[in-house]
This record gives sequence, C-alpha cells and structure tokens, in this order.
Amino acid sequence: MGEETTSLGGIHISPNAVATIAYHATLQSYGVVGLAPKNLADGIVSQITREPSRGISVHYKEGEINIEIHVIVEYGTRITSVADSVANTVRFHVEKALGLRVNEVNVHIAGLRISDTD
Amino acid sequence: MAIDTARVEKLRRQPIDGQAMKRLIDAGLTWLRTNQQIVNSLNVFPVPDGDTGTNMTLTLQSAWNEVKDLGTRNLSEMAAAVSKGALMGARGNSGVITSQILRGFSRGVHEKAVLDKETFVKALCEARDTAYKGVVKPVEGTILTVIKETANAAEAALGSAKDAIEILEIAVKAADESVKRTPELLPVLKQAGVVDSGGKGLFFILEGMLRHVYGESLETPTMSVQPMSAMNLQGAMEEVEEGQDYEVVVDFVPNGELDLVTFYGKLEEMGTSIQVGEGEGMYRMHIHVPTENRYTPIDYIMEIGTVTKVAIENLLAQMDDIQKNAQIKFAPVEPGNIAVVVVSPGQGLSKIFASLGVAAVVAGGQTMNPSTQDILGSFENLPTDKVIILPNNKNIVMAANQAKEVTVKNVQVVPTRTVPQGLAAMLSYLPDGDVEAIAEKMSKAMSGVKTGEITVATRSVEIDGVTVRDGQVIALLDGKLVVSAESVEQGVKDLLAKAEAEDHEIVTLFYGEGMTHVDANRIADVIREKYSNLEVELQEGGQPHYQFILSIE
Repeated sequence: MGEETTSLGGIHISPNAVATIAYHATLQSYGVVGLAPKNLADGIVSQITREPSRGISVHYKEGEINIEIHVIVEYGTRITSVADSVANTVRFHVEKALGLRVNEVNVHIAGLRISDTD
Repeated sequence: MAIDTARVEKLRRQPIDGQAMKRLIDAGLTWLRTNQQIVNSLNVFPVPDGDTGTNMTLTLQSAWNEVKDLGTRNLSEMAAAVSKGALMGARGNSGVITSQILRGFSRGVHEKAVLDKETFVKALCEARDTAYKGVVKPVEGTILTVIKETANAAEAALGSAKDAIEILEIAVKAADESVKRTPELLPVLKQAGVVDSGGKGLFFILEGMLRHVYGESLETPTMSVQPMSAMNLQGAMEEVEEGQDYEVVVDFVPNGELDLVTFYGKLEEMGTSIQVGEGEGMYRMHIHVPTENRYTPIDYIMEIGTVTKVAIENLLAQMDDIQKNAQIKFAPVEPGNIAVVVVSPGQGLSKIFASLGVAAVVAGGQTMNPSTQDILGSFENLPTDKVIILPNNKNIVMAANQAKEVTVKNVQVVPTRTVPQGLAAMLSYLPDGDVEAIAEKMSKAMSGVKTGEITVATRSVEIDGVTVRDGQVIALLDGKLVVSAESVEQGVKDLLAKAEAEDHEIVTLFYGEGMTHVDANRIADVIREKYSNLEVELQEGGQPHYQFILSIE
C-alpha cells in the first residue's frame, strides 16, 4: 500500500507523510502531552533533523499500513482511554486524508508527565 | 417552568457542604443522562468519540458510584472522591476531559469544608487550567473552550456576585453562550450545522445543578430539538400510518423564544411523525397529517413566526415511488459465486442490469461519480469473496480500482467505459468458475459494441472539427464528439450514419429521464424506417443529462 496507479502514472505515499498526519492527530488528542523517541538513535536523529516523525513509525507490510506511536501522557488521566482515543483519532485522520485503510495503530505509553499531584 | 423561589431562598441560606455537593453531582448526572441522546446526535466525526453523550454520562456515573454511599459532610473529601471515580471510569475523549475538569475542581476546593463563592470560582479556574494541561495543541470550539469561557465569566463576576448560587447561575449562562459560539471557532461544526457535543454535555451538567437548585424537573428533556442536519426525514417516511396522507415540512424563524412544550402539544393534535430541527436560529418542522389537515400546521406556524419555506408532499404517491424502486430484483448471490456490481446512471438501466444477473448497483455516472466508499459498500456485505466491478464510465474506473485495492475480497475490475459496454460484458458473465477468466471474457465482450450518446452542449466549442453552439444537441460515438444537430431526432440519425449502422445488427436505445416514452418511440420508428435491416429496441434508461444512450452491435 502507499502505492496507487492511476491512468496518468503512479502515486507513492511515503511512510514519512503518513507519520506527519499521525503526528498532528496525536498531538491534538486529549491527554497526550508529548511524543517520545522510539530509541536513543532515533532521539538523536530527531533532535538534529527536527522532523515531525519523532515517536512515530509507519510500516507498510503486505499492502497494509501499520502505525506505532510512542507517547507521553498527562498524569491523572485514565491512560487506557487516552490511548484508545489516540488510536481512533490517528486512524480516522490518516484514513480520511489518504483514503487508504489503516491496519493497526499501536500506542505505546513511553512515560507520564506529572504537572500536579493531588 | 416556574422557579421555586422559597426553595432557592432556603438553599441560599444553607452552606454547600459535601452532602450538598453530592446532590449537585447527582442532579448534573441525571440531567445529562436525560439529554444524552441530544448530545450524541451532535457528533460530527463518525469515528473518534462517536458517542459523546454516552461517554460523558458513563464517566459521571462512575463518579457518582464512588460517592453515592459516602456520608462525609466535608466538601474537600467529597470532591476528591468524585474526581477519583471520574478518573477510574473515564470513557472516550470527552470522558477523559470531563474527568480532568472534575480533578481540577477537586484541587480547587482542597481543604475547604464548604463551597462559598470564592472557592467555587477558584475551583472553576482550576478545572479550566487542569483541562488545558492535558493537551499540547488545544482545539478551540470544543469542551475546552466552554470550560475556559465559563471559568472566565465566573472569575469576572466574583466581585459582584453575592453567593455561590449566583456564580452557578452565571456559569450556566456563560456555558450556554459559549456552546452557541463553538461553530464560529471550529469550521467542521459549522459545516455540519451543529454545536460541539462535549461542550453541550458540560452545559447540561451545570444546568442540571442549577435546575436542582431551582427545583425544576430533571427527568423530562425540555429540548427535543435536534440539529437540522441530524433530522432523518428519509427514515420518517417509511412509517406512514393510516390516514396520514401528507408530509408537511416547514422552515421558519420563531417570533422570540420557541416554547417547545406548547409547540409539540399543538402539533400532536394535528398529526404524527413529528420532528423538530434547529440550526442557527432557523427551525424545521416535519409532520405527517391527514389530507384535510395539510394546511393546518402552516397556518399555525405563521401565527408564531415567519415561515421561510414550505414543502408539502403526497405520501401515498411517494410510497408508490418507493415500491417502484423496490421492484428491482437483483440476482441472489450464493456463497462462492461470482457477484457483479455495476455503476448505473439511471433507474431503468439498473433494472436491465439486474435482469442480466447483477447482484448490486451503485448509483452514479456521467456527472455524479460515486466514491470508492460507495463502491466498497455495495459489495462488502455480499456473501461471496469473488466480485467483478463494471464502472461503466471512464471517470469511475479509478475509484473501482481503488475499491479493489482496499478490500480483502478477490475483486476484478472490467474497465467498461460506457453503459452499453457494461451490458455487452454482462452477456459473457457466468456466476460459477474462475473469476479472473470470466473477467477476461467479459473484457473481450465489451469491445464488441459501439456506444452512442446524445446530450445537449453546455458551451460553445470546436473539437475534432465539429463546431458546437451552446444549447445544441450533440452526439458522441465511443466518447468522441462526432456531430452536432438542431434536434434529438436529427442527432440520433446523424450519429447512426457516423457509426455505419447499416453494417450492424442491433441498435438499442436507452432513453433518459428528460424524454417521454412517446417521443422516444417516435424516434425509434424513424430509425426502423430508415434502416430496415436493423433490429431496433427501445428501453427506458432513466439516466440524467443524456437524452439517449445507444448500443450499436
């Protein structure tokens, strides 16, 4: 997937483009206060390049789109609900923008931010 | 709705402690639950948070379960328990935000025994700040905006307000106004003609608390008005009752506030299937009435407002139409069979396709291209995984190919560019066998037919050496403009000459929705006379824009 053939030629949608849509959708999700780099190398790269795919990886596998998201969630929110809502929102926005079906959205809670304790 | 002033005076004298807070939470929950469906109906996104009203209600219900047996009179303890319960039961996006609002509220009343006006304002401000902390990019025009503007209004009124109940009155008013402004901030709401659902839910919670103070009922929804965009008038038609022969729809602007209780009462005397919708100050009323009452609703509404639009339809005639459509008998699909899905531009053509063994039809073609989703929807529920799509239009071939990409079913697209090609392809269709092989046979069969189309030019142009004036009849042969003419009859004659019809055997004319059977028949006779060796068939196609589609074999 990510490939389409029209009468005029081919369209290729790069994983990075999908990641950008997912990134903005994630940051608009309530309860998410940030994205976390998947690993140290990714953290360094994203610091240097400032690319908006930090914390998000997109894979095309056997014609299906799979998205992995690593987020930091506000302490005091119900984490499962926030994760559910991130997965729904990302799927909705990616499918709406691309017209392609998303197979899987996996949300990883990389950490919590504590602004206040009760 | 009368306010019980004695009750309000009594409540004003009592401090709002933990138990009073508990009763307010109960009232907020009850009122939200009563109006849950209204909040649900405001959803604009089909996927994220598809049931805001239900989610908020369940979240608040969880908060209530936590405190319902709690006997403490201490406000701080009560609020902490509410916050905990809401957190544990937070469902959906709006539920999470609601729980954050309650958490902030709880923090604002920390170590306070009673809710005075200062504490109330502080708690609302904490609720606002906590809610905003939970998101990096707050979207305005949502529940966040509503809690912000509510808290801001309460903060501004702190000096002049005499007690916590007055703060609540101000908060409810501010929330109401804020909800009404949400479409101005969030374009997607404006397009859908609704206000934000989460914001409306928050308003109901606050209003429920105030109604409790006023001693008003929390069980009957006062507002059985839905957003205009959510009105399902199509569905309402199916339940036609005996004696309810006319459907009357009136758009109007009421003089002042519309008193819904009286309004509904009056309408119920006139007929059934009553629906009332509202959008930007405009109301839409829908009702089914008996023949003799068909003008009564209009006369009544003219008394209470300014009528902007009236539509009266004869339901019995509509029912006939529905039955006509229902007459199309699609081929039943056995599991494992190959099912064919076609795009058809007209009712008549759909019937012909159905008679040839098509399993489903997607309306579209010419100027109304169906989406990939429409095509997917047509075959996804068929009990087979072998599907052949005939797009029957060059502009729909791509959407059909996309549908093939997206589905897990084994789909073959036979790239028919015209309806006659589709019909020709159908003649080679078999329900059993190898789907690829059959699709290939159908592809071969479609090229054995020439397609003629007769329509009216919408602009003056010169293409392929043919000069056309706006409004002239034009004829296309296999998609290419071949001739212009002054009449449909002349156009058909010239087209057949260009197609070298004398060398063919069968010409089928499918007449469009702009043609009468009598006119079409007359033209068919003219052709029969001119080409005595040709077999000329006439069929009702029902397609828009094209007076005739011709199949020349």
